[in-house]
Amino acid sequence: MLVLTRKVGEKLLVGDDITISVIEVNRGSVRIGVEAPRNVSVLRFEVYERIQEENLTASRAASATNIQQAATLWRTKGLAKEGKGGGK
Amino acid sequence: MKIDTKQFGTIDIEDGKVYTMPDGMPGFLSMKRFVIIEREDIWPFQCYQCLDDPGLSFFIMNPYLFKADYTVDMEQAAIEAGWEDDDPGDIKLYVIVNTSAGIPEKITANLIGPLVINTRRFEAVQLVLHNSPYSHQHLIFDAPARQNIVSA
Repeated sequence: MLVLTRKVGEKLLVGDDITISVIEVNRGSVRIGVEAPRNVSVLRFEVYERIQEENLTASRAASATNIQQAATLWRTKGLAKEGKGGGK
Repeated sequence: MKIDTKQFGTIDIEDGKVYTMPDGMPGFLSMKRFVIIEREDIWPFQCYQCLDDPGLSFFIMNPYLFKADYTVDMEQAAIEAGWEDDDPGDIKLYVIVNTSAGIPEKITANLIGPLVINTRRFEAVQLVLHNSPYSHQHLIFDAPARQNIVSA
């Protein structure tokens, strides 16, 4: 990991087209600005980790038996019967 | 074509409908090729089966069946995936469900990591929604008032 010290108002350039700016520093937190092309996603790291963890858990738990039970429950409750296939 | 699956054994699926995920999925970055298996016995769920690993599969669902007001910025999704000029009608949304709670009443859906499927290009991506009011563990069967709302 590259570790750098920046003062408020200073910036970093990542690659050719991503700029990271230090906007404000308060006790315990820093306000960071990111300029990046629209096709580059910028995330709080814990959000990505949450998706990753959820994918791992969901894949491990996936079983034909328990999804059949959920499907039966859906039909028992008389819930939406729209045609097959994905969303709008 | 015939494929091997951990869930359903060796099964026959329609040729050609293989979706490529160029960057894999969080947690499974090297898994690139998937198919969607539709079966009467699991409807309204579908099986999202990895062809690179027969042991890897997810169950997925059309989120609008249980959350009619589910909103995803599809324009931004298309830009991130490189599909700007595509017909929105070619792009379908699914969410991955999680049965780890052990009982069907507690099945949850990940509303901040939807699967976006391009049915013309046969590509798919998993979006990571930031600043979203939705939960990664949204109870499919419970009443809205009792949902966990976790802000990203």
